[in-house]
Amino acid sequence: MKKHLVSFTVNNDQYDLLVEPRKTLLAVLRDSIGLTGTKEGCSTGDCGACTVTVDGKSVTSCLMLAASANGKAIKTIEGLSSGSSLHPLQHAFIDKGGYQCGFCTPGFIMASKAFLEENPNATEAEVRHALGGNICRCTGYTKIIEAVMSAAELMRSARQAR
Amino acid sequence: MPEYSVVGRRLPRVDALEKVTGAAKYGADVHPPGMLYGKIVRSEYPHAKILHIDTTEAELLPGVRAIITQADVESGRKVFASDKVLYSGEPIAAVAATDSDIADEAAGLIKIEYERLPVVQNVMEAIQPTAPRLHSDETKDGPSRRGIRNRLKQLSLDESEGSSEEIRTLETELETLEEDVYYNISAETHTEIGDVEKGFAESDIVVENTYTIPRVHQTYMEPHVSVASADSSGKVTVWASTQGPFAIRSGIAGTLGIPLGKINVIPTIMGGGFGGRFGVTMTHVPAVLLSQKTGRPVRVQVTRKEEFLDGRPAPGCVIKMKTGATKSGGILACQALAFWDSGAVSGASIGSTIRVRGVYKIPNLKVDAYGVYTNKSGTTAYRAPGAPQAIFAAESQLDEIARRIGMDPVEFRLKNMREEGDMIPGGSQEPVIGYKETLKAVADAAGWWNRDKSHNQGWGVAVGDWTNGCGPGGVYVSIHEDGSARIFHGSMDITGTDTAITQIVAEILTLPYERVTITRGDTDSAPYATGSGGSVVTFTMGNTAKLAAEDTRRRILELAAERLNTEIDNFELRDGKIFVNGADSPKSISLGELAAFSLNTRGGPIVGKGSFAQQSSTPALAAQIAKVEVDAETGRIKVLKLVSSQDVGFAINPMAVEGQIEGGTVQGYAWAIMEEMQYDQNGNVNPGLVDYRVPTSADLPTVESVIVEVPAPNGPFGAKGVGEPPITPTLATMSNAVVDAVGVRVNDLPIKPEKIVAALHNNGN
Amino acid sequence: MRDFALFEPTTIEEASSLLAENGGKATILAGGTDLLVGWKEGIATPKSVVSLAQISGLDSIAYDENTGLSIGGMTKMRAIEQSSTIRNRYTALAEGASEVGSIQIRNLATLGGNICNASPAADTVAALLVFGAQLEIASTYGERTIPIRDFFVGPGESSLQHGEIVTRLVCPPRPDNSGSHYIKQKIREVMDLAFIGVAASVELAHGVVADVKIGLAAVAPTPIRATDAENILKGNSLSESILEQAASAAAEQSSPISDLRCSAEYREDMVRVLTKRTIQASAARI
Repeated sequence: MKKHLVSFTVNNDQYDLLVEPRKTLLAVLRDSIGLTGTKEGCSTGDCGACTVTVDGKSVTSCLMLAASANGKAIKTIEGLSSGSSLHPLQHAFIDKGGYQCGFCTPGFIMASKAFLEENPNATEAEVRHALGGNICRCTGYTKIIEAVMSAAELMRSARQAR
Repeated sequence: MPEYSVVGRRLPRVDALEKVTGAAKYGADVHPPGMLYGKIVRSEYPHAKILHIDTTEAELLPGVRAIITQADVESGRKVFASDKVLYSGEPIAAVAATDSDIADEAAGLIKIEYERLPVVQNVMEAIQPTAPRLHSDETKDGPSRRGIRNRLKQLSLDESEGSSEEIRTLETELETLEEDVYYNISAETHTEIGDVEKGFAESDIVVENTYTIPRVHQTYMEPHVSVASADSSGKVTVWASTQGPFAIRSGIAGTLGIPLGKINVIPTIMGGGFGGRFGVTMTHVPAVLLSQKTGRPVRVQVTRKEEFLDGRPAPGCVIKMKTGATKSGGILACQALAFWDSGAVSGASIGSTIRVRGVYKIPNLKVDAYGVYTNKSGTTAYRAPGAPQAIFAAESQLDEIARRIGMDPVEFRLKNMREEGDMIPGGSQEPVIGYKETLKAVADAAGWWNRDKSHNQGWGVAVGDWTNGCGPGGVYVSIHEDGSARIFHGSMDITGTDTAITQIVAEILTLPYERVTITRGDTDSAPYATGSGGSVVTFTMGNTAKLAAEDTRRRILELAAERLNTEIDNFELRDGKIFVNGADSPKSISLGELAAFSLNTRGGPIVGKGSFAQQSSTPALAAQIAKVEVDAETGRIKVLKLVSSQDVGFAINPMAVEGQIEGGTVQGYAWAIMEEMQYDQNGNVNPGLVDYRVPTSADLPTVESVIVEVPAPNGPFGAKGVGEPPITPTLATMSNAVVDAVGVRVNDLPIKPEKIVAALHNNGN
Repeated sequence: MRDFALFEPTTIEEASSLLAENGGKATILAGGTDLLVGWKEGIATPKSVVSLAQISGLDSIAYDENTGLSIGGMTKMRAIEQSSTIRNRYTALAEGASEVGSIQIRNLATLGGNICNASPAADTVAALLVFGAQLEIASTYGERTIPIRDFFVGPGESSLQHGEIVTRLVCPPRPDNSGSHYIKQKIREVMDLAFIGVAASVELAHGVVADVKIGLAAVAPTPIRATDAENILKGNSLSESILEQAASAAAEQSSPISDLRCSAEYREDMVRVLTKRTIQASAARI
């Protein structure tokens, strides 16, 4: 079948790729671009491990055709830190022990980032609800939620400082 | 307690950066050049004869490089079903292609003709004579026939005892019990201590119930995956996401007849295991076979759906249980008859049925357990294998007894708990243990003693015990010329064990945590390490690493003595430096200086090694209290409070230990409330994460963890295994809380809303 | 996933003719959150796919006091959930949209897709039924408008003809003295499918029910209105006994099945429980 020319940015880098229509954004990120930080946990949109942001909104990249991402700005976990400087969410996940096996972590961090940017003052209950699309099987969520709440505070103070 | 500077601290994990930046490489992130994609073709039916496999159309699809079936397995060991399938999802063939979508498509083009056979999915039906047989017609005696046969055997051995009349009576009885036999039995185990009949007769109160615990999937977030590369010399390299790389090596060697030395297993970071990622599983052997056939690296990665169809989940079971006690709260007897659903393969954790004994003084105990074949995939370990099921039954019964005799359920448990020196029914004497401390700790933390509740709210308590396993392991420690230390080993990091090992070595070498790094080798390079399961790692590898660090310290002191020209006994290792004791002019040498010195003199590199053999550990208790609110009209359960205490011996890293407690508790909660693999005549009907429900953050409150430390005499710094205990009591904790809230006990898990509503209706509400 | 040809038309006309050209083999792609799952599992293997994503103007939300609410078929669930107009005036719809999957799913899934899947358990449909939504449908043959009540034929089946595209939904304006609510019975708080879904819209005048509509999901082959219950309530005050009667009538009108999620008996029982609660909650919002 005819491949499609798809142009988008991933973590601010421009990509122009010829892709089969059937390839998902997840498959292209992992297999064509080699950004394997985004994980495939279920391929049906039910676990959130493949969460990336597209034009600032979190999506399950396993349920989006790469062709549909044409012209968009995509952010993955690899684009969150610049050099050795980590995003507040990354700091908080380390400090609070918000991960164990780590497989769900990129998805959790990306989903939290999009949510906190929209809702900087979210309550714990709101965060728990908003992250319902991300499954973690190791932590029981307690330390993830602590990490996100602590990151929210860091992000608020960073915003105030600016 | 001694003052430690590195162990016992909440330090960030050694793998922190790679885990939060996406840099960590898991199984599916391995992509050698020229790699092909493998896909497994699976049975559509739970029980059928395979009449014909037609691969012609699939072979013609552009991009397909190989298709294999059992005929391609030269060793003859079963990898694929060839004449009969016993569960839907059973592997029949595998494809390798240049693209994952092409492999998928090719798998769909393989035509298999079947002749369907009758299916049995329920253990209580499978043991009946009318059930279809999975493996053979053989029967096993039920408990009554078994008892008579045992007595007859005893009589025939000892002629002085009994009479020929008794023998005749027993033989007649045996004939009348012809139907007390079970079909489709995969395994059995029996334990008898004291006389349960006498115990029940002396009891003031006897509760008897049947408990049904569903089959649940470990649901590690990373689906099974491996990449194999076979070269022309016959050397096979396998990248595997596994709990035990050495078991993968021996498993592949055994299955395919490849010499052990020709297999190198390179472990990747593992996306969760919980017991389900042990040994050769869904992907390893097919990947090797496909690579051997194509001469190219092949990755076999299963989907979440395949995980449910052909994973090795935890067995469901039916436990008929009876407990007798006195009015004053003494347990007199306990009897259990359990049927474990093995699926089509033998291996359910039936040995864990004995755990119905709990941590209590029980004079009379009888346990009969059977593994039963059904048309489902086989089962394997899941966090304290078998214990959550058995403990659910036992702790539900205790709760019922406490309610009936009007005794506080915590007091009732405390009254019956074993202490140091008490005999474990069917086991040895209790060592130093912390059962009572742990239960009291959770009761205090949860506010049990002055608990309040509104309408339809309830409190539940339960405890569960588990003793960590142990295996052999080896560790090397090297000191670099900059004074830093590196640990080299071959055990898999499950959720922080590399961090614990690093903390232990840093503590012994008196180095800052940041100055010690850790590397995992592959099976070609690393010393053997037991698999990471059974809560073994911190105990086994922690002890091993401690030995290695101590060996390193010994070597350091030897070399320092040589360097500073004095006796070994005069030295002290402190803050990463060697100080001479008692000298008038203080002399010291840093580890870096010493390492550099010995490189250029007679000492050579500073290397220490630790080699550790198996030894037994001490039991650990987890105790939990939940407060729930039940919507009596809809049956929905909301958890308001969940407190979990655990005797961990000594918490090497309290943050990681809390993480284990919280995670295990939530897995137990989910087993009680929502998880269940459902089957019908076509196989598993909920093979996905929509209808197989694992909880999300929105379902739960903060889990409060309480660390109790009663040191294990032979654990590193007193540490016990931590990973498994917290899942063991939660099934009963939740159920007991629901009873306290709305007065109905649902013994058939999960406690779905519908079951609560039905039970309330039956109660006349 | 099987290979397919992907078309990305920029106008409705172009989309309609692409669908017409490709005969019965073309599938419309909206958000893709349901379709891609089916394609991956080989349940559907379309040869051609026509994406509506590049057609502008299909994802707008507009409200007019005279004509009511207008939502483009490609509007994302997340936008519906977050629209203040919908939250204030068509609360049950915002609640229904917020029950679909996760935020990540709702950033992809569209209202048109949720409707056109024709799942009896669709979370927005019970609300759209009570708001009397009209569907605007375009094709090469022209445009037609049908009430959502007439749209569903059976599980997974709608009256949408091949080549037709749902471009817009229109809900009549809401009276000031009205309130609405959607309740979904589930086990997990988030990411569950509806075991039972009940939406209600209640309009009160001088303490009595001037108008009421009740929509039920997952308890019949299609989403349905509980009209018998509505008739019982109309003209009455919301007394306990009237509510009980109406709730029982709603349960009576449902025809649920037993499946892996729950039994027919439980579903029927929950229609009773949740109808009462939904009406009370709707009235409390006035």
